[in-house]
Amino acid sequence: MNHLDLEIKHEVFGLLGPNGAGKTTLQRMLVTVLSPTEGTATVAGADIVRESDKVRERIGVVTQASTLDIELSAIENMNLYGMYYGMSRQQRQERIPELLKVVGLADRAKIPVAGYSGGMKRRLEIVRALIHEPQVLFLDEPTTGLDPQARAAVLDYVKRIHEDHGITLVITTHYLDEAENLCDTLAIVDYGKIVALGTPTELKRKVSGGDIVEADFIDLPYIAFKVLETADFVLEVKRRSGGLTILVKNGAEAVPKIVGLVDANGGKLRTITLRELTLDDVFLNVTGRSLRE
Amino acid sequence: MKGALAVCWRDVLKFARQPIVMVSTIVGPFLTLILLGSAFGGAITLAPIAVVRESYGPYSSSFVEALRNEQSCQLGGINCQNSFRLIDVPELDVAQQMLHAGLVRAVVHIPLRFDESIAANAKVVVTVTLDNTDPLSTAAIGPEIVQASQGVSPQIQTLGTNSSNTIIDLEFAYRNVLYIEFMAPGTFVQSIMFVSIIAGGVQLVIDKERGIIEGYLVTPLKKHEIVIGVLLSGVIKSLFSAVAMFILAVALTGIRPLSLFPTPNLAGLLLTMITLFLTALGLIGMMTAYAVRSTSADLYRVTCFPINLTLYYTSGAIYPLDGMPPWMKEISMINPETYAVHALRLLMYKGVGFQAIAGDFVFLSVFTALMITLAIAAFRRGL
Repeated sequence: MNHLDLEIKHEVFGLLGPNGAGKTTLQRMLVTVLSPTEGTATVAGADIVRESDKVRERIGVVTQASTLDIELSAIENMNLYGMYYGMSRQQRQERIPELLKVVGLADRAKIPVAGYSGGMKRRLEIVRALIHEPQVLFLDEPTTGLDPQARAAVLDYVKRIHEDHGITLVITTHYLDEAENLCDTLAIVDYGKIVALGTPTELKRKVSGGDIVEADFIDLPYIAFKVLETADFVLEVKRRSGGLTILVKNGAEAVPKIVGLVDANGGKLRTITLRELTLDDVFLNVTGRSLRE
Repeated sequence: MKGALAVCWRDVLKFARQPIVMVSTIVGPFLTLILLGSAFGGAITLAPIAVVRESYGPYSSSFVEALRNEQSCQLGGINCQNSFRLIDVPELDVAQQMLHAGLVRAVVHIPLRFDESIAANAKVVVTVTLDNTDPLSTAAIGPEIVQASQGVSPQIQTLGTNSSNTIIDLEFAYRNVLYIEFMAPGTFVQSIMFVSIIAGGVQLVIDKERGIIEGYLVTPLKKHEIVIGVLLSGVIKSLFSAVAMFILAVALTGIRPLSLFPTPNLAGLLLTMITLFLTALGLIGMMTAYAVRSTSADLYRVTCFPINLTLYYTSGAIYPLDGMPPWMKEISMINPETYAVHALRLLMYKGVGFQAIAGDFVFLSVFTALMITLAIAAFRRGL
């Protein structure tokens, strides 16, 4: 982990980056499993180096790999965690059914977790991490390995937990839509460094303030490409297989202009689409690589 | 301490939910006991014996009858069968040839003046020639023949062909302990070792691989609470298996420990339990220390196999220490299972008190303390 400096407020905070970027390492430091070689951080008002005990009492953690005991039921799994946090039997008995209801597992609470779907297991792990009413919940790639429907359900519950319980969420992800739809603030992490920080909208605005036009060609003479590249309404042109990605100031105005220019210079368009900037464009812009690669 | 109990509770709960693991820690040792114990120390049945009879009076007749009716029983006096199948051979030479040809296992020569001598209250020598190329059968057949002769007349002296003429009168200090009884304590210790490896160690390595231990570390659980929890659950699980083995052995194989028979002896039972407890704690500590430092479950399983075999075979569990070469004796001296087996055997078949096994307790306690320290140190560094 390279030197980084950031502050997470009471919000949904996302750490976005490709696999191996250092998101998990950063998170493992914040949850006191790894000690930083230098520097420190404060989580939920406690120092991760000097007051790691206090930090652990105030956070909940959902790790990337499942740590459920599949032979045991949902209630038993949660009960054990409650015991780890030193909760009394009465506290546990009150809280567990309530939490299981939040994620729609109340009617399956007593069967062994082995019979759960991937999404149900994830949901259970998320509420298990909430058993002791933590102030901050850390989620490491919470939807990896889930099918789209299960992903949507998990994200929905996560959002609701944040809204209803007012818990700060720190989520690592390499899914763009997850980062975009869920997070209030995003840090883009690459090679152990935060390369960009802000709300999803801010990050996108930082790149250009423009729109993206995707154009595919049947025929594109060099002269037509040159004219496009040098046109005053065009900010940037990138070649990709089958066509061009054109960054423009104003999409609605640019599309007819592009059509006209290509036509005038002997080229032939197959398709032309206007789309908004995505976080992948931001990532590409700050790291020179695409997250999707 | 509450945290340790929670960790322990999880392990015990998981153990109870995995009947296959639970049963496998009992089945292995129990199969060893019943298969090895029955085959190895099992009684000789229907062994062919050549009888060369040169005297035909009432004493020799009753001796032959006694040989014919000599019974060998399986575990606990069931399935009794004749020990010998007698073959009457008129000539000693022919009988000897049969022995060489492997047709009979022994030749019993009843001399001409047999009946006459006994009637005159004089000593008489019956020569028994044994096929000693099979040491185990030889060891079993000789004493059986001697036993059969005892009922006929105390004047009979049986001599092996190669033994000297010194007559030694053997007296037995205890009742006859069957081989299966002899090896039973080792199988109790082995069930503890199995739990240490399977339910203790492998579980821990898998938990480590799955990130469950790391999951512990983001909760307020302390490292020492985790170790204590793991050790405690290991002891509970292994005592469960060892006690189940003990009960099965008594119920199904007819083993008769003095702590239960003829009347239950609470002090003896208590000492047996304490021995099992100390053994469990030591072996669990050892395997936990090893498991914590182990990086893969496969590697752990593969290496545990030779560790288990070495400890078992050098412990005196299936063969007395006296019969081992010096290098093996040296291993057995530092092997905790040796002391466990020794203490259990004394408690079960000699009915001794604490003093007789104090030495075993000292070794086991020191070993246990060492292993627990090691396990805690391994946890500190390994996680």
